[in-house]
Amino acid sequence: MPDHVLAELEQEYARLADEIPDSPTRQAISVLHAMVMEVWRTVQREQLGGDGAGVDGRELTDLRDLFHTAPPMDQPAVTTPLEPGIQAPDFALPDPTGQLVRLSDHRGRPVVLVFYPLDWSPGCSQQLDLYQLELAEFRARGTELLAISVDSVYSHGAWAAMRGISFPLLADFHPKGEVVRRYSVWREQDGYSDRALYVVDGDGVIRYSTVSPRLDFVPDLDELLQAVDAAQAVRA
Amino acid sequence: MITVYGRPGCAISQMIRRWLDRRGTPYQYVDVERNPQARSQLAWLTGGRVRSPTVVIGGDVLVQPTIEELEWALRRSRVGRSA
Repeated sequence: MPDHVLAELEQEYARLADEIPDSPTRQAISVLHAMVMEVWRTVQREQLGGDGAGVDGRELTDLRDLFHTAPPMDQPAVTTPLEPGIQAPDFALPDPTGQLVRLSDHRGRPVVLVFYPLDWSPGCSQQLDLYQLELAEFRARGTELLAISVDSVYSHGAWAAMRGISFPLLADFHPKGEVVRRYSVWREQDGYSDRALYVVDGDGVIRYSTVSPRLDFVPDLDELLQAVDAAQAVRA
Repeated sequence: MITVYGRPGCAISQMIRRWLDRRGTPYQYVDVERNPQARSQLAWLTGGRVRSPTVVIGGDVLVQPTIEELEWALRRSRVGRSA
């Protein structure tokens, strides 16, 4: 079928929405339409070709997309971040290679600290995918991204490899959440952090901090980049 | 016209919008949290699976698509050519 025919049919389908009253029939038509779309999408994915690697018929892309069907994580925030203007607590945490990374190693340029709840979870997968895709925006500003969660170095390594994340994921694993607590974003009832961002300037001073109102809320990236620019301006 | 249905705080929406912006591809963004009518329309398109983001490109309704899927849909579509 020519592509424009499908597009015209889709427009006609969308137009009919207002003409069919709420009813089980309307619902059934809508579900059927969604099924057709998903089947069509599956056909397209197969044409794109899978990665060919996997276990029990599952490909790596299926594992990458597991978060779509994982239990939701949408609880409201329970913490308040440290205020801008104070010295950021220093830390030394291992990256996936086991090498210790210290905040103080990054003096002279802004650092974005990304506290996220857990590897493999829905919001975190999406948030770190976004930062990876936009890494050039951070690099252009001479800024380092350091992401921190309570997962182990082994989980971080596997998750980073799966998602193609190239910035450091630091393991606040033992004592569990010690750095998260120092940054005041520890969720005692859950055993992991709230979703929080800090921008630390080149002198190690916190210039921006925010905790997402819900765990599934990823802050606006433009706002974060503006905070990085502001942190650089303060130092200049 | 390409339509991106999304909500604030959605990372994939941000990713897709920034990708479309960089590509110079025009699109309409609809915030489904602020627009109940759009939410209803989205439910009609997706069989009630209202997820952020959902992208409508020509004849494709893509619920939480990957960038690769968008590239494919745009290549096929007459509406997805760069401005």
